Amino acid sequence: MNNPHHLNPTSLKSRFTTRFLRALTKIRAQKPISSSSPTEIFRRYRRIKVAADKSMAYSVRSRRIWSRAMLWKLRSRSYRRQDPCSGRRSGKTNQAIMKKSSNENTTTRREDGVGFVEEADELRQLVPGGETMNLCNLLDETAHYIKCLTTQVQLFSPIGKG
Amino acid sequence: MQPCSREMQAMNSLLSPTQQIPLQDLQPNGNSGTHQAQIHNPQFDPTSSHDDFLDQMLSTLPSCPWSDLKSPWDPPKSDETPPSNHDNNVGFHYDEILASKLRQHQINGGGGGTTAAMKMMMQQQMMLPGRLIAAAGGGGLTMPLHNDIVDGSSFKSPNQQGGEGSVQALYNGFGAGSLHGTNNQSPNQPQHFHHPQGGNMQTQSFGATAGTVMNQSQASGSTTGGAPAQLKQRVRARRGQATDPHSIAERLRRERIAERMKALQELVPNANKTDKASMLDEIIDYVKFLQLQVLSMSRLGGAAAVAPLVADMPSEGGDCVQTTAGGGGSLQRNSNGNQPSANNDSLTVTEHQVAKLMEEDMGSAMQYLQGKGLCLMPISLATAISTATCHSRNPMINKGSSSNHPLLQSNGDGPSSPSMSVLTVQSATMGNGGLDGSAKDAASVSKP
Repeated sequence: MNNPHHLNPTSLKSRFTTRFLRALTKIRAQKPISSSSPTEIFRRYRRIKVAADKSMAYSVRSRRIWSRAMLWKLRSRSYRRQDPCSGRRSGKTNQAIMKKSSNENTTTRREDGVGFVEEADELRQLVPGGETMNLCNLLDETAHYIKCLTTQVQLFSPIGKG
Repeated sequence: MQPCSREMQAMNSLLSPTQQIPLQDLQPNGNSGTHQAQIHNPQFDPTSSHDDFLDQMLSTLPSCPWSDLKSPWDPPKSDETPPSNHDNNVGFHYDEILASKLRQHQINGGGGGTTAAMKMMMQQQMMLPGRLIAAAGGGGLTMPLHNDIVDGSSFKSPNQQGGEGSVQALYNGFGAGSLHGTNNQSPNQPQHFHHPQGGNMQTQSFGATAGTVMNQSQASGSTTGGAPAQLKQRVRARRGQATDPHSIAERLRRERIAERMKALQELVPNANKTDKASMLDEIIDYVKFLQLQVLSMSRLGGAAAVAPLVADMPSEGGDCVQTTAGGGGSLQRNSNGNQPSANNDSLTVTEHQVAKLMEEDMGSAMQYLQGKGLCLMPISLATAISTATCHSRNPMINKGSSSNHPLLQSNGDGPSSPSMSVLTVQSATMGNGGLDGSAKDAASVSKP
């Protein structure tokens, strides 16, 4: 993307950058690596990934279906960690809601007249929250999702270079 | 007039550039001055805003040969205060049936279209003006009007955005309009109907659509008795221009999907595929690739976040664990996005495998490692190298162990990896005694 995006204080890039840096510093300030198990390592890595996803979703707020779905997933996961019971409850509720919405939409299995059912299903699995979208919205969300992912990657590249 | 201007703007924005021209003529300022007299009909008061819009539209239409027509429907009455009376005035008895349909499309008191009217229009080949006029004749068509107009104009090229099912309603009004048009001089007529000069471009499309509409209205409104059966021909709908609400909605959906596919095509690289299915596959692969890229980079970010702590590790007496991920290298190597995840898993598997082997026989463990292109090295050296090579562009493969802590380092792709790929994990299954001997192993670092 062009640099002007960085100059724009409200662009997706700048929003994501600030949030992600904040999350990273928070993680860094967490307990140092004293654990010795590989699981701890990956847990930490996962935490970072979650932070990245969360900061991305938060910078998009709820303007998009996929960001809402992602935020929901993150929240339910954190609730589940805090309180297993509530997590179960919320999980069930969520599943019920998702199923209900998908039944209402009845779009997941519909031919849609365009004949791209298999690809559409695969795309639905990729894009968060895609199960409840018909093909039209799915393509829309995919476009925005791709845009956000590319932003993320671009912002991550300095990390890779040290 | 604000609603009118909005509608006009919406109309213009919806229309293609080529087709905007004739409609731009309909701008209030574009009044050709041919008709002013009967434009403003007090009977349109209930829907005055829309009527004004329509009137403005129609006012710009040049005179049409419809004046030559003799309308079989002479406006019976002159009182038309409620818009619904328009139908009665023209003697349209389709009204009940069609009006209900029109109202479904938010058209107030839509002028009943009659198949006869349609046919007449067809015969006269006055599609465009009739269409617009019919819209006006519908008496207060609301916003869907411009959709209808847009749809009508877009019929020429089916790929354009079309209006929705209200098209039929529009054509119903169309018929009414055409009938009205034959009596320009009648003061009761809500509008003048004149052929726009620029409307010829849409004649064919309108002819087709009118035909299709007529077709459908015949099927649907054939029971109305009041409509004269003077037009007997039945025009088959042109392919791709059916006005059945379902097919219209279907077409609209298809157009929207095509639009979005085009937008996606710009985002996704390597989008030279013309086939929609392959384009979708490309999109799917690209999304997978991006997700994995973010994953690996976050792993890398994890390493970067961990790096400040590396210095503490040796002081912890070998209990420390260092983890860095080789995101960049693996990423580059696996542009398809398949391997990075496999990389992660394979490392875990490798660790456990090596741990198991080390418990049995050091030699086999070493052979296993060498088979994978890995080696053992002391952690202190590994950490030193890792910090040193943080900025290097050469990934290093080194594997070492010191006091029970094997260091597994996987190779990131050589040429393109900007970052080091080091994964140091202490295998949980590693016994304390099993690695004592390995502590003496010389560190061998192999570069790819």
